[in-house]
Amino acid sequence: MVKKVKLRVSGRLLRKKTRRTGFKMAKRCRFTSEEVPASAIDFKNVMFLKNFLTERGKILPARISGNCSKYQRLVANEIKKARTMALMPYLARRD
Amino acid sequence: MLRYETLFLTVPEITLDEVSAIESNLQKLFKEHVATFVSFERWGKMLLAYPVRKNDYGVYFLIRFEVDQAKAPALLDAVRLFFAVKLNETVMRHLVNKLDVKGAWEYQRPDSLEDAPTRPAESFRDSRDNDHRGSSQDMNNHHLAD
Repeated sequence: MVKKVKLRVSGRLLRKKTRRTGFKMAKRCRFTSEEVPASAIDFKNVMFLKNFLTERGKILPARISGNCSKYQRLVANEIKKARTMALMPYLARRD
Repeated sequence: MLRYETLFLTVPEITLDEVSAIESNLQKLFKEHVATFVSFERWGKMLLAYPVRKNDYGVYFLIRFEVDQAKAPALLDAVRLFFAVKLNETVMRHLVNKLDVKGAWEYQRPDSLEDAPTRPAESFRDSRDNDHRGSSQDMNNHHLAD
């Protein structure tokens, strides 16, 4: 009779441990690290705010843009202002 | 003192007379409310991100002003009324924004169609012909062969 061996480590944990941990740069907020002055966040500065939109015209999540919550909120609010003034799209056209 | 700015979007067919009338009316309004009129800028004609009142284009104007804290609410109400009711026909959108008193007046504004470099239509046609003449001929030949 073969004795069943119980796995000590769950499959999920095993996958997590074997996951490749590449040399990823730590994500920093570009405004708190003062790479970009916070005064650039302005609804009139459309060219800059376009960096925080997806191709479809949605607001990029902080998880991807790397903004801290304070500046993510500011950016999102300014984008919404620009949208009401028709400076930025609610929904980008698919050409 | 508090600083405010108002960006407003007008219909593309706005005339110079209408613009000067708006400016003089605003000056009168600010005088009544003891506010200082800092600037009145025309951004120019722009392609809108989405059609507003069935217009694909619009003309943007930016005004900036300073008021005392006590007089600000009355003035802002008056400004909103002025754009929303009196200029109902010409002004499509307006947005009142509070500015930082310590901040600078400079700002980045989007490029208007009037600033864009223009080329005479003939030069454009010539370059297009040169670029595509070969390929279009190939296409024709291909069709004939089929």
